[in-house]
Amino acid sequence: MSDLVNVELDGKKIKVVQGSMIIEAADNNGVYIPRFCYHKKLTVAANCRMCLVEVEKNKKPVPACATPVTEGMKVFTRSELARNAQKAVMEFLLINHPLDCPICDQGGECELQDLAMGFGSDVSRYKESKRVIKDKNLGPFINTEMTRCIYCTRCVRFAQEIAGLPELGTMGRGEHTEISTFVEQAIHSEISGNIIDLCPVGALTSKPFKFSARAWELQQRAAIAPHDCLGSNINFHSLRGVVKRVVPKDNEAINEMWLSDRDRFSYEAINSEQRVTKPLLKRDGQWQEIDWTVALEIIASSFENVKHAYGAEQIAALVSPNSTVEEQFLVQKIMRKFGSNNIDHRLQQTDFRDQASLASTPQLGMPIADLENLDAVLLIGSDIQREQPLAGARLYKAFRNNAAKIMAINPYDFDFNFGLHAKIIAAPAQMVENLTIVSPQVQSIIDHLKQAKHKAIILGALAQNCAQAAELRSLAQHIANLTGATFGELSVGANAAGAWLTGCVPHRSAGGAALNQAGLDANSMFAHARRAYLLFNVDVEFDVADPQQALGALKKADFVVSCSPFVSDAMREYSDVILPIALFAETSGTFINCNGTWQTFAGAIPAQGETRPGWKVLRVLGNFLHLSGFEYNSSEDVKLEVQRLAREEEQEECQLASRKQAYEREKLDPVGRLKRSKLATASEELTRVSYWPMYRSDNIVRRSQPLQEMFALQASPEISISPALAEQLQLHAGDSVQITQDNQQVIASIQVDPKVPAGVVYCAAANRISAQLGNAFGTIQIKKVAT
Amino acid sequence: MKRIIFLLKTFTLWELFKGMRITLRYFFKPKITVQYPEEKTPTSNRFRGLHALRRYPNGEERCIACKLCEAACPAAAITIDSEVRADGTRRTTKYEIDLFKCIYCGFCEEACPVDSIVETTIQDYHFEKRGQQIMRKDELLAIGDQYEKEIAKMKAADAKFK
Repeated sequence: MSDLVNVELDGKKIKVVQGSMIIEAADNNGVYIPRFCYHKKLTVAANCRMCLVEVEKNKKPVPACATPVTEGMKVFTRSELARNAQKAVMEFLLINHPLDCPICDQGGECELQDLAMGFGSDVSRYKESKRVIKDKNLGPFINTEMTRCIYCTRCVRFAQEIAGLPELGTMGRGEHTEISTFVEQAIHSEISGNIIDLCPVGALTSKPFKFSARAWELQQRAAIAPHDCLGSNINFHSLRGVVKRVVPKDNEAINEMWLSDRDRFSYEAINSEQRVTKPLLKRDGQWQEIDWTVALEIIASSFENVKHAYGAEQIAALVSPNSTVEEQFLVQKIMRKFGSNNIDHRLQQTDFRDQASLASTPQLGMPIADLENLDAVLLIGSDIQREQPLAGARLYKAFRNNAAKIMAINPYDFDFNFGLHAKIIAAPAQMVENLTIVSPQVQSIIDHLKQAKHKAIILGALAQNCAQAAELRSLAQHIANLTGATFGELSVGANAAGAWLTGCVPHRSAGGAALNQAGLDANSMFAHARRAYLLFNVDVEFDVADPQQALGALKKADFVVSCSPFVSDAMREYSDVILPIALFAETSGTFINCNGTWQTFAGAIPAQGETRPGWKVLRVLGNFLHLSGFEYNSSEDVKLEVQRLAREEEQEECQLASRKQAYEREKLDPVGRLKRSKLATASEELTRVSYWPMYRSDNIVRRSQPLQEMFALQASPEISISPALAEQLQLHAGDSVQITQDNQQVIASIQVDPKVPAGVVYCAAANRISAQLGNAFGTIQIKKVAT
Repeated sequence: MKRIIFLLKTFTLWELFKGMRITLRYFFKPKITVQYPEEKTPTSNRFRGLHALRRYPNGEERCIACKLCEAACPAAAITIDSEVRADGTRRTTKYEIDLFKCIYCGFCEEACPVDSIVETTIQDYHFEKRGQQIMRKDELLAIGDQYEKEIAKMKAADAKFK
């Protein structure tokens, strides 16, 4: 108790932690002190002076946000001195603030407006002309009205302390102060949208939301962001059945009070032109709208026909890892009840060799919030900052506050906002080689990990997707065992954990029990073409690791059903029936995040047109197929069944133990295991390494206009090679090259990037060029095209 | 005695003449009946009748889609949709008043920061079809254009009391 001091706050005697500020003590004891620049997640700036309070024996009022409490301190927040000081500060703040509240998007939720009601005077004594500042262009997300700025510098501090990019700063002094971006262009943070919420006035507002509604008329519904495995909590704000904006919902364990731009602005896809609102049927090459009943009858009879003619194993299903637990479970249930184990959700993966020995769900291995307490982290094949932006922000905090040593073994030298203590940039095969022989660099990384107290090894999307995923995973686990670090995976998609648990993998049933006979995985279900496919929430041309192989198999298939909220040209080409399903704001469901947290949400708005929530479509499809056990009345019923299955499976201790044993054996001998398995790549061949860009990662993101505008602004190259390779092939940046992969040839322009390691062709996935290519992590040839 | 007076009054038609005297008095008094609709009673400058949306003298609509009238309306009669117009200003795409819901309280007029929505003195209007009672933006602007002079006069006359 020694670190508590006695303070008297407005006559109330309280005990406060020594060293905390007056404003914190006041907040914790229900006394409100007006403030603009103070924010509990940011450092103290004390430049707005709104929080001036009277402290006994102090002649002048002191800022509550920057004055630490001391023993016996007497604070008066509402005394005449404090009140007059606050009123005077408010009058100064309002001198240059425009009176445009009626057209300001912040109107109704503006801190300045609220405090002006309490502390402002009704008539301004200021008669002179007001200052005007030119607006800044902060890109497609943030609208600026800099004349409204009151220089609280919350945005500046956020950019420096949380986003890790000193993009915003103040320039000039006094009357001439301006907030500015150092490079007068779009800010390239992946969590920049948070400064919209931070801005206490209307200087920074949301551009997609601009002028479309007022704060007081919006309906708020809680939901979960469907883009990354953190499961950030969001609130939909809707007006008359239309989602107008997405704001973060506080959850200290996951997203604190932040939100990545991808989660914040993806809602624009809800009203995309590509939404499909009626079931569609292809008849003689022509698409026509049909009834739900007819559509489901056609699907049921076609599947039955395929089953009778060729057997149930000729049917395969692909589910998006962004679908809800309920949807994934029902797809799985239909497939398994129908007699087929060919189901998978690992769209981007190319290596499935170690699937039998994996844990029941991919896990981070520690609470997300603990990322910021780490002292040493090894990232393997992870671009954490762009794959899971808020996990990246936590790591940046660890780097900034604990001076955490962050190390990376990556196939591309990513620009991280945290500095890398050590890095190995190599092709995936070389990454494996480095780790296997324990090169000196790896040894030093291991030493750093050993020395640290809180340490973790995180496997990212590139490591999970590449052709050497099994080796990388077991080696990473091996190092984790050696060093005592926590091993964690940040899986692709919002609900990969849910997909594993609901049995959307070919070798395990719902709940996680191993099957005697595994079905075909996401790659081999196309390599060995099937007669019929059920695609759930998938844009095959962009989402799968080998688009050409997949599209070829789909075109050959007798019958393809796409359940999708959107329709694309490619989908029209390969599908026979398209069923419109509701998007994330329109359906209820559950996501399981990388901590295994189940987060259930309800729909925020009614489904568009004749679209129906995915779980309802699948439930009725189950009825049409005359399968038993499809009598659910709500998504809650489905969730309860999944939970029951998962619990039952947990109780099957022996089975779990035997799996664990096999797993441990593998873990203990990764090197021997590597010798048993063959390394696929020969050194002289070029390896393609594909990454899914942040704003191309799933079907919703790809149809959100502001995100696509930002993606276009970032101008990330589609294909880049290392300078060494460019020299060898006599190529220059911007040259047209012919790319050959699996007999597919594409002409594309190439960029030379020193961040690409030798032997790697670094490709962006989910674009027109990648859609024409083969395996995302296969070999590739490049030839110069004479112009 | 009482009986005698009563009989006298009865036979002289006293009560009738007493009544006729009042009739005669009103016969020569000035008439106050207003021959509506040819004649109308004078209305206050603050009369709250049919709504109108006003424009600035340069033809630009005043409404900036701040939605304060919508928020102030106790009958939820006003529905507004807003957007960014091509020139970057905040404008309505939809401005509707349901006159069946409206209780003519005038709160919208009081809430308006730009004197755009006003209630005119027009009190005699009718609807022939279902749905006509929902006044759309173009109709409201047309009323404003037609009666701008009267509205401006009324506003000016009432300005010193606000």
